[in-house]
Amino acid sequence: MQALAIDSQTLPDVDEGVVSINTIDPYKRVGYTVGDVIEREVTLTIKAPYKLIETSLPIVGYEKRYRGKVIGIELKNIEHSKVEHKDYTTHQIKLAYQVFTNSVVAKNVALGPEYLNLINTKNKKQLVKYRIPSLDIAVSPLSIFGQVKVENNMSQFLEPLLIKDDQERKWLKVAISALAVSLLGLLYIFGKHAWLPRMGGSFAKAYRTIKKLPNNETGLKQAISAVHLSFNQTAKMSVFNDNLDEFIQNNPNFSHLKSEISQFFGLSRQVYFEPNAQHSVGNNPSQWLLQFTKQCRDCERGLIPTTIKAGV
Amino acid sequence: MSDVQLADWRNHALTLESEVNKVVVGQQTPIRLITTSIFARGHVLLEGDVGVGKTTLLRAFTRGIGGGYQRIEGTIDLMPNDLVYHTYLGEDGKPHVSPGPLLMSGENLSVFFFNEINRARPQVHSLLLRVMAERSLSAFNTEHYFPHMIVFADRNQVEKEETFEIPSAARDRFMMEIPIVVPNDDAIMEALVFDTKFHNVDALVDTVKPDVLQFDELNAFSSVIQSSIEASDTLKKYALNLWKATKTPLDYGVKVSGVDMNRLVLSGASPRGMSMMLRAARVNAWLNNRNAVLPDDIHAVFHSTIAHRLVFSPVYEMRRTEIAREMLSGIVNAVSAP
Repeated sequence: MQALAIDSQTLPDVDEGVVSINTIDPYKRVGYTVGDVIEREVTLTIKAPYKLIETSLPIVGYEKRYRGKVIGIELKNIEHSKVEHKDYTTHQIKLAYQVFTNSVVAKNVALGPEYLNLINTKNKKQLVKYRIPSLDIAVSPLSIFGQVKVENNMSQFLEPLLIKDDQERKWLKVAISALAVSLLGLLYIFGKHAWLPRMGGSFAKAYRTIKKLPNNETGLKQAISAVHLSFNQTAKMSVFNDNLDEFIQNNPNFSHLKSEISQFFGLSRQVYFEPNAQHSVGNNPSQWLLQFTKQCRDCERGLIPTTIKAGV
Repeated sequence: MSDVQLADWRNHALTLESEVNKVVVGQQTPIRLITTSIFARGHVLLEGDVGVGKTTLLRAFTRGIGGGYQRIEGTIDLMPNDLVYHTYLGEDGKPHVSPGPLLMSGENLSVFFFNEINRARPQVHSLLLRVMAERSLSAFNTEHYFPHMIVFADRNQVEKEETFEIPSAARDRFMMEIPIVVPNDDAIMEALVFDTKFHNVDALVDTVKPDVLQFDELNAFSSVIQSSIEASDTLKKYALNLWKATKTPLDYGVKVSGVDMNRLVLSGASPRGMSMMLRAARVNAWLNNRNAVLPDDIHAVFHSTIAHRLVFSPVYEMRRTEIAREMLSGIVNAVSAP
């Protein structure tokens, strides 16, 4: 490839007027530092019978040298497209260079020049070259050498130095997140329909189950059994009327429902053990039980349940 | 008629309890259990240290229910015939035979108290077990009947020397084993020591209202209770699960600290034991003015009717009281109803 490059430079120049060039160069010409990418767009119009030998286009990664020393500007990317017409061909070449040099003081470097080879299609032995002119830019040091007041040394080509607000933005995000969590916590504590943690508790499951049960004797039995199961799972032991005090002592969240729990066990007694016994939950025990389970669910979630009246 | 009869007898039973509670203070639970066993017609094994009031308790009950009260002390040289008759030389210089404690009250015997039963020989146990099971005895070519008798036996679990452990088959004949412990209420303990009315047992027992119950009507009324108090299907299933749990506690997740549960239970509660438990539970329901048995009624009598029937591996026998208590509590906590 180097040989081809040498060959390009030894070829005769193309006749004037055969190639016209138009370039779009970056506005900023100074202040580049190591790592910066500079883009340049070149549009060539080549009249017939000359055509561009596309293999002569500059190669990505090729290190340009000046007097045997690497100049530190490297072609990072090239995009080439062409539009052919009867009498001429238009080539659009986008060149992206990257700076790989630095210095303690500003220094000039050049993008290019790039040499392209053309061929005369009517005389295949005639090879000529075309030189895309170089673009001079200045590379600046990363840090200022010595004690310099930056404001006095600012270039008019540099954008103004803005105060960095990254830290403030980070803390703002943290604060907003904390506020959101706090609001969710308040919603959970004060909400009637808490849906955050402890959602899958025993009584929550029982409540969902009971809602689907029919309002008849079988449904009531199943509902009571589901509530018993929830009590047992909450207490991690079987809960009966004779160890209710122990249950409430171990689960103080349920202390608000002491009388309702006794009513529930009275209902269970009547349904499961003593049909002639009286319960005190009113005429619609299924509905009462649904409300009671909801209250228990609230207790399970650490909320204070609203009271219900018998027969609701 | 039956409801009136049940209510009337309940009032009598509660009066009896109240009377006994005045004499034997701080023993409400044992008194309730003894009342239960009287109406369930079951024999009772009392467990407690010396001098905690077991005899006073039984004498008070006997005075309340009427009938004869007999007592015998278990000793290592006691023979079965000592329960049946005494022989002695009379003033006329001739040998005489007089009825022993079992026969002395005839058919009116209502409470027979065998003190320190585990000091008596197995032969004596054998005789007593027959009397307990059949409420009859063959002696002097005659069959003697004790239809109203309830046996109360007492054993001291602490002392082991010169004692004969009651075999499991014998323990199973007792409806309940009731622990009698000294109440830990300071006021009661102080009264027992300083209140002079507790120093004279005879005078103390005489304060109990006599014949609150009619001892010779208890058998018939017991049948009324058993037939009147219902047990629902759920309750039956619950009792059945409790029974199974006494046999295979590990299946119900019951564990006892420091015990290999796979080796602990050699035999759970017997069918007789479970039926006695249900009898007692029915009486408890009746005493609490209910027409059906609840799990609470079973819980009230579960320990006292089942614990002594469990047969443990010999290695755990020395700790049977605490192990049985923990295991049965675990069963009650593990088995649910419904």
